[in-house]
Amino acid sequence: MRDLFYDLVRRNGMAVAIYLMLAVSVWVFLLIILPQLTMLDYSFRFNLPPAKIGGPEDVYTIEQFKYFFQGGGSSGGFNALDIGILFKTLFSAVFVTVFDLIICYPVAFILAKSSSGAKARLLVLALIVPYWINEILRAFAFRILFGSTGVINEVGMGLGLFDSPIDFIREDVALYAGLAYAYILLMIFPLYNAIESLDSNQIEAAQDMGASWWQVHAKVVIPYAKPGIASGMTMVFMLTSGALAAPQILGGPSNLWFTQLVYQWFNSGGNWPRGSAYAMILLLVCITLVLLTMRIFKVSIGEIKR
Amino acid sequence: MKMKSPKAMIPGLYLTLFFAYLFGPLIIMVITAFNSSNFPRVSPWECFTTDWFGKLVADDALIEGIGNSLIIGIGVVVVAIPIGLAAAIMLSQVGPKLRASLYTIFIAPILVPGVVIGLSTLIFWDRIGTFFNAPYESFFYDGTFLTIFGQVTFIAAYSMLVFLSRIQRFDHTLTEAALDMGATPTQAFVKVLLPFMAPAIGSATVLAFLASLENYNTTVFTIVSSSTFTTVLSSKVRYGLDPSISAVAVIIISITLIGAIIFEVRNRYNSKGWALVIAERPALKVATHPGTVAGILGVLAIGAVLFIQNYDSNACTAQILEEKRALQQQLMEQQSLDTPTPTQSAPSSTVPSMPSLGPLGGDEGGNEGGDENGAGSDSSAPASNPFGGANGIFAPQNLRGSEGN
Repeated sequence: MRDLFYDLVRRNGMAVAIYLMLAVSVWVFLLIILPQLTMLDYSFRFNLPPAKIGGPEDVYTIEQFKYFFQGGGSSGGFNALDIGILFKTLFSAVFVTVFDLIICYPVAFILAKSSSGAKARLLVLALIVPYWINEILRAFAFRILFGSTGVINEVGMGLGLFDSPIDFIREDVALYAGLAYAYILLMIFPLYNAIESLDSNQIEAAQDMGASWWQVHAKVVIPYAKPGIASGMTMVFMLTSGALAAPQILGGPSNLWFTQLVYQWFNSGGNWPRGSAYAMILLLVCITLVLLTMRIFKVSIGEIKR
Repeated sequence: MKMKSPKAMIPGLYLTLFFAYLFGPLIIMVITAFNSSNFPRVSPWECFTTDWFGKLVADDALIEGIGNSLIIGIGVVVVAIPIGLAAAIMLSQVGPKLRASLYTIFIAPILVPGVVIGLSTLIFWDRIGTFFNAPYESFFYDGTFLTIFGQVTFIAAYSMLVFLSRIQRFDHTLTEAALDMGATPTQAFVKVLLPFMAPAIGSATVLAFLASLENYNTTVFTIVSSSTFTTVLSSKVRYGLDPSISAVAVIIISITLIGAIIFEVRNRYNSKGWALVIAERPALKVATHPGTVAGILGVLAIGAVLFIQNYDSNACTAQILEEKRALQQQLMEQQSLDTPTPTQSAPSSTVPSMPSLGPLGGDEGGNEGGDENGAGSDSSAPASNPFGGANGIFAPQNLRGSEGN
């Protein structure tokens, strides 16, 4: 760290070097690392009233994590509800991520290879515009769309596809559609950046040698765009599994997202240590899953960017 | 040629479908803001109205939330931009090995769920506050400060990415030239590197401000007892669906579109091709100047606001209400004729959650489906024939039943 500072001083002068070190240190330590460590510490404590904090009862415990696995009952139980919610959240997030990849890949490819200049720029702008609409309003739009008197039910019944309105909210269709919609842009841009830098000659060469369009994609484009695919999938997966607004608005009545559990322990439950423990579980499981997938597909985390 | 054309159409068709998915929900939401129906929906269409906007302006909680959001947004920009800039510059000056590990740390807040960032910020400052024995009015417990800290954690990373993509194109020989000519390293930094970064500072500021404005996941934890635009909006949505939320969306979409149009016009105006076209056409030059376009859009926006303020849909809504009342009257008479004894239980057996004034919502019968509905209610529809005539009656009460709660 001292070497780093001297190097910065030599390059930028004392004043600027102090600014650089100070700004980055505040960010890394005060905003990123220390809060996470505090949360980790908190997750290993009992939920005590403020007066008892720091007292003899304020000792470390794995009680909060135990609760996640065993539930509130006597020991030996199995907290099927919360574990089920975690798995459902992860499974749904994977589903949403794959769905986004499938629908975004053609768009990114068309944008990167078939359109050029002003048209491409306009299309990119059209992609960005919906992204600036608030996450809550986007979820609200899907609520209107999929409601029992929503446009989809009206059209479906008008065409005679089904007789009575389908409860898309309860069936979680609205939730998946809304979540997939919310993070589409984060999938498209990494894909687009990756595919755009691919030399079109490579595609043409493959075609000249008799590759079908499927082979071109499977053997040329997708291997080349792998870092882009990985970073898009990572972003969408992490954001989807950590989403709160969309599940709150679009989730069915009996259907919870794992983040909602964290929110409940924090707000209505008033149990911060347990909320911290649940947040830690979410964070660890998601990171493990992402790193594992990256290991399998042989992509390094340094390749991730927006 | 004929064989080729359908195949060549596939990309265009796919893009059309994709953009329909992207814009369809937004368009429908916009339409619902102008329907006088109490529930945000497109059909049945009742009256064109602008009352929902008026309701919005009168909503004190929302206005207060917007005010807080603006303060937080400015605070986030002031803190996050210098941090992001420093991080990007540091990354550009360190060796490859340190760069890789620093980059992983800097990028982490983007990948960490917002919920986790929010609650870790809350806990951390609560701890610090407890440690210093700070009173509850101090900033350790203040929603605005906590939210700024929480949002800066990841928005600084966004702005760092913006700066990083700019600084990669920086020609380091420029700094060396300045140093050779006798500038101190600090002068070289202020006079060479900073001006080069200026455009990126602009775009990072816009990005950071908007990201702060629309953040929910982190804010909902750190805001404590205060409120922001998004938290007010979210509680409004969860409390009950209401077309005034659509009206918020209309305003935001309009602002976004105006921004996008001006941005695009400016790009086009500054492009080389366009400079040649307008070189000897002064009228066109003025007409396509971004300022002109902004002016026209501004006038249109003011016009829209005036229209919204002055449009009166009372006559139409009163008529709709009258129609509903008449229909309800008619339905009740029919019910008492057909099934005299269990007046109340007949409809409630099909839909348990149906409120007693359920038929009031069945205004479709009055508008279009008159024939069909009439036939349906002749045969005492709800009980004996759940799907036939129930179409118009079924829908609106279902909305009360399932979506109201």
